Amino acid sequence: MANINISCIAIIGKQNNPLYIKNFSPSHPDLKYHYIAHTSCDVMEERASMKAQDMYLGVLFSMEDLSVYGYMTNTKIKFITVLTVPDVIIKDLDMKNIFRRIHSAYVNHASNPFYEIDSQKMIKSKKFEQEIDAIGRGRAHEGGNRNSQIAPAP
Amino acid sequence: MAKQYKTIGEEIWRNKVEKINAELFTLTYGSIVAQLVKDYEDFTEVNKQLEKMGYNIGTRLIEDFLARSGVGRCQDFRETAEMVSKIGFKMFLNITPAVTNISPDGREFSLVLDENPLAECVELPDQAVLDEFWYSNILCGVLRGSLEMVQMQVDAFFVTDTLRGDDITEIRVKLIRYLEEEVPAGED
Repeated sequence: MANINISCIAIIGKQNNPLYIKNFSPSHPDLKYHYIAHTSCDVMEERASMKAQDMYLGVLFSMEDLSVYGYMTNTKIKFITVLTVPDVIIKDLDMKNIFRRIHSAYVNHASNPFYEIDSQKMIKSKKFEQEIDAIGRGRAHEGGNRNSQIAPAP
Repeated sequence: MAKQYKTIGEEIWRNKVEKINAELFTLTYGSIVAQLVKDYEDFTEVNKQLEKMGYNIGTRLIEDFLARSGVGRCQDFRETAEMVSKIGFKMFLNITPAVTNISPDGREFSLVLDENPLAECVELPDQAVLDEFWYSNILCGVLRGSLEMVQMQVDAFFVTDTLRGDDITEIRVKLIRYLEEEVPAGED
């Protein structure tokens, strides 16, 4: 887990509208990640229809020094994690953990009665940003929220 | 005295109360508030409506409270505060707010809630914070309604709320007067 270097976390809504894109690497511009997120959408839809059971979709594709992992919920919300490729092989379990935490953070945010789920607007919430930040920088889970127990994938 | 109330409250919560899912409860209250905000578009008005709703709940809730707890009359307002906090809040929300800042004449007290099940996962929009919106204002109405049915006219209002960025969530309760039964004209 210590070796994983997350360079971007992106969340795409069900109409393939961007909800949240956070860039953790100083070396790549934000625009690049917008582009990656966009490309990933099609790959994810295709992959999800093949792999019926799991929300975790594994490696979607690789480009240059980046590898892109995907996770799609049944409500068609897509989570994308982009890693700078390290020397060690990344375990599926580690990635699933990361996605579970992102999913948790998203669920906590969606539980806010003032957030409109279908509004197509980007997510603007300090608490949410802090949680994603903690995940992206590999810090321990920020405490305090109820919904931190998403069921592990079978 | 306080210890006794605490035990009573816990016993009632454990045995005599039917429970529901906390998320369902939080989301239901959240959707009520969100709908009111959409309908009235004015946070001060929503405050008033929540208080009114709470008042209606309170007038009925007190019967349930008295029936289930079987407690007798309070000697003074201080005892009322303890009962509200240790038995009332415990029975209905499973929390025990601390009773603080009792005024020297014993006619005012504060309830400090360290957790608020109504407001889990809630983040207020910026306009709400500017307009002095109290998300859990229904609780103030419940306090006013229920205490009125036991012959106490009180004023209950929020002082601070963690949802608005304050450190603690505090409700202030002031006794205005005791409502004595009025003897109808014509009787001695």
